[in-house]
Amino acid sequence: MMEIIESKHWIEWIITIAKFAFAFVPILFILLLIPMERRGAGFIQDRQGPNRSYIKIPYFGRIRLFGWVQNACDGTKLFFKEMFAPAGVNKWIYMLAPAIPFAIVLISPCVIPWFAPMVFEFGGQVIKIPGMTVDTEVGILLLFGLSSLSAYGAVLAGWASKSKFSLLGGLRTSAMTISYEVCLGLCLMGMLLLAGTFRIDEIIAWQDANVWGIVAQPVAFFCFLIAMIAETGRAPFDVAEGEPELVAGFHTEYGAMQFGLFYMGEYSHIGINSILVACLFLGGYSIPFVSMETVQSNLGISLGVLCGVCAVAVLAFLHLLYRYARWYKTCKASNKEVILREYSLYKILGWCAVVVFAVLGVLSAVFIHPEVQMVNGEAVYGIGVALGTALIQILVLLVKAVFFCWVWIWVRWTLPRFRYDHVMHLGWKILLNIAILNLVVTAIAAKLLGGN
Amino acid sequence: MLALIYFIILAVIAVGGALCVLFARHPLYGALSLVVSMLSLAGIYGLLGSPFVGVVQVMVYAGAIMMLLTFVIMVLNGARDSRTPRFDKVSLFVFPAVIVLGGLLGVALVSTPFAFDAGTLRGSVALTSATLFDTEASGHGYFILFEAVGLLLLSAMVAAVLMAKRRLGTTDETEGGEN
Repeated sequence: MMEIIESKHWIEWIITIAKFAFAFVPILFILLLIPMERRGAGFIQDRQGPNRSYIKIPYFGRIRLFGWVQNACDGTKLFFKEMFAPAGVNKWIYMLAPAIPFAIVLISPCVIPWFAPMVFEFGGQVIKIPGMTVDTEVGILLLFGLSSLSAYGAVLAGWASKSKFSLLGGLRTSAMTISYEVCLGLCLMGMLLLAGTFRIDEIIAWQDANVWGIVAQPVAFFCFLIAMIAETGRAPFDVAEGEPELVAGFHTEYGAMQFGLFYMGEYSHIGINSILVACLFLGGYSIPFVSMETVQSNLGISLGVLCGVCAVAVLAFLHLLYRYARWYKTCKASNKEVILREYSLYKILGWCAVVVFAVLGVLSAVFIHPEVQMVNGEAVYGIGVALGTALIQILVLLVKAVFFCWVWIWVRWTLPRFRYDHVMHLGWKILLNIAILNLVVTAIAAKLLGGN
Repeated sequence: MLALIYFIILAVIAVGGALCVLFARHPLYGALSLVVSMLSLAGIYGLLGSPFVGVVQVMVYAGAIMMLLTFVIMVLNGARDSRTPRFDKVSLFVFPAVIVLGGLLGVALVSTPFAFDAGTLRGSVALTSATLFDTEASGHGYFILFEAVGLLLLSAMVAAVLMAKRRLGTTDETEGGEN
């Protein structure tokens, strides 16, 4: 036991254990995605979306936080509802089924690299820490294996509910998972062929050195995106829970937090898939046009730019607020006093944030000058620089992932639903063929151009 | 030491799952126990230094093939399925086979020297691909075998589709393997 503990420096152990916290990133994505989806749907359908619940605080009045309070209320309601099982269900499997997708969501982020491998000097030795929680060479295959398991949740739920609608939903889920996973794997193969590895961090390094995957493999990217959306089982591919046909598909008989687990599992699945697409085709944590060495040697300025970007984002938010406020002042809405009062809080917070970001940015640009040491001909920095770079890279990855989350929502509320046979036709007869063709062409091109 | 503890946990789950497949009354429970058994087998593969084989086990067997199997079980789900007797005439053939196989395995295990180093990589990606496809190192045996198995699976799939089509008279979209 002792030799395992002593094989690593204590700071390495701390960071390695701290990386387990990344397992909760998809769960945090739920907090972002559910309000984003409901208000996004409202935005696309030209309505307000759910934003009526509020917290009452002194002076500023009713604070609605752009619909977050409403979602918190809905979540709390689900949490405290009675767990109810209809008569005749298969108790054990009925209880177990919602936990499967959610448990897998907690495991699957283990192979996603959140930052480039950290190399830093600490206590007289050079320490290397990989960006993913589980540093394995099978990388992305593990992710695919796990995500193929998560369909068992829906299938078992459909079977255990002893309802015809649920059973049909479960059947459709299993059929769709199998058909679209084939396509997903084949689209991925082109990218793996170019990078010559299963490790996601090496795929990102390849994209950093050459071009982003979306440029190198545009056809695979679109097939991959379609298959991904189909695999999460969302509209326009939500035949498994199509409301007009199957009531609610496999979770017809579920209520309270059991339904909530399915719901959360779906949204975290979207989060993981967005991160995956960002890693495979959008360069993951790599910053376009800026190499990691540049970031590290000018860490102060890089952090300053990061703070500047945050400040500009807050300014854009303030601009929106001021426009809304001006519109409310002229309109005849009966509650405009309340809303303007609420907005004044956001304005104060926004301006404070702008000032804080600006001060932080200037301070870091002026005062942070990393000291470089040369070890074996490589520039090695201290732990502060390594953590700062990791922070920038995590933020870059998350921004790319959130963009794809928006694509998911956008597609869902724009396109009409496919019929079941159309989905199967698309999967087996169109997407699969395109993916195979793409793979063959990529292989020939890579061979001719002298790749591995 | 740590590897041994993991191995014992996984082995108990794997053997328990396999026994449940034998004794389960409902086919779906059998399929589920098989999935559990396969997952812990994948864990054992990883413990033996072959993470690639383990992950392929999860992806192909637990993910795809067992999913197809549950699909079939659910389609053929009848009321009598839940009253399938635990032992019937087929068991007369199954049990001697299981006992003989167990005996053979036991003899093989006892007769081989039990030296095991958990640190070595036996089935890494590079090693597996070199064994399968590097014609200079391992001759062309595995390469041709691999292609032949691929062709065999393809022809089996085509035959299955044709048979299903002839019987139903319509196209069956759910047909097709993980190939």
